[in-house]
Amino acid sequence: MMRPFLALTFNGFREARRNRVTVVVGAFAFGLLVASSLLTNLSISTFDRVLTDVGLGIMSIVLVLLAVFLSSGMLSREIERKTLFLIVSKPISRSQFLIARFAGNMLTLAVLLLAMGVLFFIQIGIYGTLFTEAQFVAIGMLFFELLILSSVGFVMSSFSSQMVSATVTIGAYFAGHLGGDIYEMSRKAEEPFLQLLGKAVYYVLPNLSRLNYRVQATYEIPTPMSELLPSILYAVSYSAVLIVLASFIFSRRDFK
Amino acid sequence: MTLAIETRDLSKTYRLGFWMNKRVLALQNLTLSVEPGQVYGLLGPNGAGKSTTIKVLMNLVQATSGTARLFGHAPESKEARRNVGFLPENPAPYEYLTGEEFVRLAGQLVGLSGQELDQRVKEVLGAVGMSRTAGLQIRRYSKGMVQRIGLAQAIVGKPRLLILDEPTSGLDPVGRREIRDLILQERERGTTVLFCTHIIPDVEALCTRVAVLVNGKLAREGSVQELLTTQVPVVEISVEGMAAEAVRNLGHPLEQVQDLSNRLLVRAKDAHVQPLLKSVLDAGGRVTKLQPARFSLEDLFLQAMSEAKHGTVGGEISS
Repeated sequence: MMRPFLALTFNGFREARRNRVTVVVGAFAFGLLVASSLLTNLSISTFDRVLTDVGLGIMSIVLVLLAVFLSSGMLSREIERKTLFLIVSKPISRSQFLIARFAGNMLTLAVLLLAMGVLFFIQIGIYGTLFTEAQFVAIGMLFFELLILSSVGFVMSSFSSQMVSATVTIGAYFAGHLGGDIYEMSRKAEEPFLQLLGKAVYYVLPNLSRLNYRVQATYEIPTPMSELLPSILYAVSYSAVLIVLASFIFSRRDFK
Repeated sequence: MTLAIETRDLSKTYRLGFWMNKRVLALQNLTLSVEPGQVYGLLGPNGAGKSTTIKVLMNLVQATSGTARLFGHAPESKEARRNVGFLPENPAPYEYLTGEEFVRLAGQLVGLSGQELDQRVKEVLGAVGMSRTAGLQIRRYSKGMVQRIGLAQAIVGKPRLLILDEPTSGLDPVGRREIRDLILQERERGTTVLFCTHIIPDVEALCTRVAVLVNGKLAREGSVQELLTTQVPVVEISVEGMAAEAVRNLGHPLEQVQDLSNRLLVRAKDAHVQPLLKSVLDAGGRVTKLQPARFSLEDLFLQAMSEAKHGTVGGEISS
């Protein structure tokens, strides 16, 4: 039961490793991290803040783009190229296939996040600034942001093309960071219908801003575990619902 | 006895177009039974429903109505696929893997591991003639090599049933012969084989039983022997000294008149040969050869095609 699942998961990671885009993006991230060191030379008073802000910001942008690219194309590419014919014809369920591919995707992102995190802390170490708990929290919570984004990409990818999936996932990323503003705007609306609509949109869209702890990292503000755990639980639950939905759609699809 | 494959009134309708209002009747009430150990050929032109049948059996598409069973299990159950090796038309293995890695992955997915997996991967790569090139990435393979890797992944789990969609397409004559030999080996091992093709010599060489599909419907079904011997015997006559038009104007029912520059090749049913011969000789023609025509699967195939009401390719379309 677990062996085929693990074989597919690690194969997903191998795919990403052999995919040149991953290598290019990795090199790009490395280049940008180096560039951030140059930027810090220009700042005088808030040296460590700029270093953390730029480093985490670049890490976030690169990994978000990579998550969108990997997740939105994974199932649609398999369907388009008919590579899945040889896999789903084996004694594994389609849900098992989908979850294993998702796990492979998240493993890839986790390894890259870890590698970038190490680079980031090496840079911090080189400049002699302090390692803070808030930096670790921001990097850790970025993983859960990527988890939600990848789930959105997977759901879309289970029934639409890569282009549509990527567009919707990028839209979900921006909307997810504006969730609070949408809620505030709906509260101020005069029409009850608009209030209801705004609230509905707020609850349906992923609340990515509650997983963003990069500002806290910049200003070295510690976050208590009592705040982090519900956020983690929210991300895992939201992602689980989307994966169940993707699995439901994918299991009923015809592959012509 | 549990049948290897059983379909009852199997139908599949695809809905096409922006509003999904166009319907293609890809498969209509197909009833088939394949017994264990048989090599069963699905013949038919493009769009006849062969691949759709296979896709329903492999749970790649869901039937609109009717039932399908693989060793008594519904196609959507994992149990059904546990005993099946599948090679789709134009197989597309992961190109970033080497041939060996892909076959190994396929082995892991059917539950092999450890030494058993190592040994089986080695065996099947040798069987399909890919031992030497198994370490290259699949993106560097020719079409024939991809086809061989496709077949290797299908047989790695020692399946009781092999379902092959156009297994010899894209192969050179040597490759075709090797794949055919491999299918024969599997048959010797007792594996049931269902394969679809439009390469008729492959069917004649391999199959014990054949179904001809036309426009999504079963047009003929039976053992190869049965299908060929139940045909009305036809005789081939070589005629010299007469024009094709003159032979046609003799007023006898003819199957075919072929003008071969210095002679005519006339085909007629056995019952009409005697009067035809007399008329030809009376008209001054010379009969140089007379022999019973061998009714081939190709003839059967063409006959089934011409008998079908719709000569279109790609299933019936309705809206």
